[in-house]
Amino acid sequence: MNQGTSFRPDRRRFLKASAAVAGGSLLIGVNWNLQADSDEGVAGVFRPNAWVAVHPDGRVEITVAESEMGQGPYTLMPMLVAEELEVPWSSIKVSRAGIDPVYGFQLTGGSTSIKKGWVLLREAGAIGRQLLLEAAARQWGIPVQRCRARDGRVFDDQGRSIDYSRLLGIAATLDLPEKAWLKPPESFRVIGQPLPRTDVPDKVSGRAVYGIDVRLPGQLFATVIHPPVFGGRLESFDDRKARESASVVDVFEIDQGLAIVARDSWSALQAARRIGVTWRDGDRAGFSSADWAETLRDYASREPDKVISSGSPEPSGTLIEAEYLQPFQAHLTMEPMNCTVHFDDGKLRIWAPTQSPSLAYGSAKRLTQNKLERGWHKLMNRVFGGYDDSIEVNTTLLGGGFGRRLEQDFVEEAIQIAARFDVPVQLLWSREEDVQHDYYHPMTYHRLAARLDANGLPDLWLHDVAGGGVSPSGARHGYRIANQRIRSFNFPQRVPKGPWRSVSPHFNVFAVEHFIDELAHKAGRDPLGYRLGLMPEGRLKHCLETLASRVASDGLSAGEKVGYAAASTFDSHVAEAVVLREDRGRFRVVRVYCVIDCGIVINPDIVRQQMESSIVFGLTAAMLTEITIEQGRVQQSNFDDVPALRFEQTPEIVVEIINSQEKPGGLGEPGVPPLAPALANAWLAATGKPVRRLPLRLS
Amino acid sequence: MRLRINGDDVELKQIDPETPLLWVLRDHLGLLGTKYGCGIGQCGACTVLVDGEPTPSCLLPVSGLGGASVETIEGLADGETLHPVQQAWIDEQVPQCGYCQSGQIMVTVALLRRNPRPGQAEIDTAMSRVLCRCGSYPRIRKAIDKLAGG
Repeated sequence: MNQGTSFRPDRRRFLKASAAVAGGSLLIGVNWNLQADSDEGVAGVFRPNAWVAVHPDGRVEITVAESEMGQGPYTLMPMLVAEELEVPWSSIKVSRAGIDPVYGFQLTGGSTSIKKGWVLLREAGAIGRQLLLEAAARQWGIPVQRCRARDGRVFDDQGRSIDYSRLLGIAATLDLPEKAWLKPPESFRVIGQPLPRTDVPDKVSGRAVYGIDVRLPGQLFATVIHPPVFGGRLESFDDRKARESASVVDVFEIDQGLAIVARDSWSALQAARRIGVTWRDGDRAGFSSADWAETLRDYASREPDKVISSGSPEPSGTLIEAEYLQPFQAHLTMEPMNCTVHFDDGKLRIWAPTQSPSLAYGSAKRLTQNKLERGWHKLMNRVFGGYDDSIEVNTTLLGGGFGRRLEQDFVEEAIQIAARFDVPVQLLWSREEDVQHDYYHPMTYHRLAARLDANGLPDLWLHDVAGGGVSPSGARHGYRIANQRIRSFNFPQRVPKGPWRSVSPHFNVFAVEHFIDELAHKAGRDPLGYRLGLMPEGRLKHCLETLASRVASDGLSAGEKVGYAAASTFDSHVAEAVVLREDRGRFRVVRVYCVIDCGIVINPDIVRQQMESSIVFGLTAAMLTEITIEQGRVQQSNFDDVPALRFEQTPEIVVEIINSQEKPGGLGEPGVPPLAPALANAWLAATGKPVRRLPLRLS
Repeated sequence: MRLRINGDDVELKQIDPETPLLWVLRDHLGLLGTKYGCGIGQCGACTVLVDGEPTPSCLLPVSGLGGASVETIEGLADGETLHPVQQAWIDEQVPQCGYCQSGQIMVTVALLRRNPRPGQAEIDTAMSRVLCRCGSYPRIRKAIDKLAGG
């Protein structure tokens, strides 16, 4: 991923705020400096920093710089602020941050939102609270130590109280405190509560605005068709039939393919089917995913790009070996790729359902810096090399992300298309383009080998992973094995590859966790006891033990087999169990158990929701879907041939959360990696057969 | 061409009669709660009720709808009072990304109108029409069980 855009604090703001940030870290310093701009906002609004605005009518506006794609930042981030600001949850109103250096580099991915916001956003709230307390103390003429804040009011020790809304004027004149005083965890009232999500009411009324719902005056609607072979180019096209429709405005080539612009979405999508296109296929026209699997196998005998080893991992003695192959996977967000762009009188306005408005900004700047005359800004850029406020990125709600919307290809296309018009243009991909022009989860080949000692326990562990753009991340496990070697064989990518919910741990954890059960099987041992015996004491082991006792207390019915897997990823620890039931030769997943230790829990209901989500997402990939490529073309095109898990196929899901006071870990991804190996381990238990390739189709 | 949408008679002018109902709702009438997901009637995100029947609107040419009554997510609430299914969706905190939920809710409304006490098999069949990639299914099941008095 290119993160070439560099944000520097706007000099004017930085100078105004520099006194207030002395002693603070750069991030904090940069971040606190919006206070000086409070006079530029709505009259009477108290804006102690870039995240908090207390309105005179009592509303508390909290700005979130993370993208909401279902994982909950529009609720979790405001909870962190509200905890310290001491305001009632019902007063919270959420705003999505625009592009501004004050928010740093905006990228929602890698299960990092809570980790990034844990201190920062509580400090943002605390600074606001401290100023309001000080304002009340001045109003009453008493020392601030006699004041405390709660539920949007300040109380003194004599029973007097005053609403925040009556303190805003004084608070806005005060100097920023030098230090934010954070509450001790035992006095948390918001953090740890299962508060309802702020985004849900609009999502049940139909009022929620996703990228596809952006509507602007005079807006046109576009779609694109891409070369069917990766790396192909447009040779020629015949748009006579398409132009018979009065609704079609224009058809033209862009870098990535052919753009069709019409007066409504349907006309654009229809016209795209009526255009005869000749493509130049390029050098990947012979690419086949079946051949690729063989190539990866060969490649895994050549030079590794990374080697991680401990002990003396030289292969010797009798080795137990296994190979695993995992397929290309698409993201399949429910909302297909789209973006709306308006070149508006020297301003470039973008509305995008993107996981990274900062990358979208970077794309916009790169694509337009030589094409747009932006006078003063151009000069400013040359002098300061910094942020360009003639580019505006408005991030809408995202109809799913899963890593797909970290790529800004759809934004770049929309910019190229809209550059030809002075009205807004909304680009919408068809589902077929979405499936066939993704940045895929890579196909990976794994070769594992182990040597068992006299007790049947591994004393040598070898794991080779090969694929386009793979890393060993997730292959490093905590099992007590004296001699280990992990090698990755990273190929030049032939198929576009991108982060897919849980990224490298998804494929590496599968190989590790399924192989452990294969070894237990070979050693004639119970896989759960075997795994627990190899696992060092710690948080992950505690999760697995908690899981095992829950499964045992529920018990298994006749015909049911269970498989376990566990992994620490994204700073959280997750153990999962899959229960398979056999009924007249047919297998079905009937229950999935999950125990997570994600450190301090901000909102337990959202933790549960993310585990349910990860399990359903994991099951789709483990049992149902794969992307195959023949003659350079993706063979699948829509939900009929990439059949995501449906309601009736969904097992009962039981989630337990470990009570922890450790720092918060990630939530969006750590529930995914243990799922596929737990399923494969249940399959091994039920049938005696290991799973050599995914997906494991049960019927 | 006339349609009855959420109880109102709507006159459609200058629309290609082949335009599917989905795009008439979204691009011509500004009813954006109904979503495009696949365009082939597979994902159910675009489900609306046509004469009470849950129907994917992405394949339905508007010309074939003369006189039909269409209900969309925007027509469920009574002023500020949510439909009981919408309220149950809030109570159980069903949505994550939320993109498919208009479809999920419309299917549930039709299911419970037909049978206020549906069995698990009937719920399974009805709800398997609409895909959710976030995995809100367990909560949908809980919400329906509660609505059905389970």
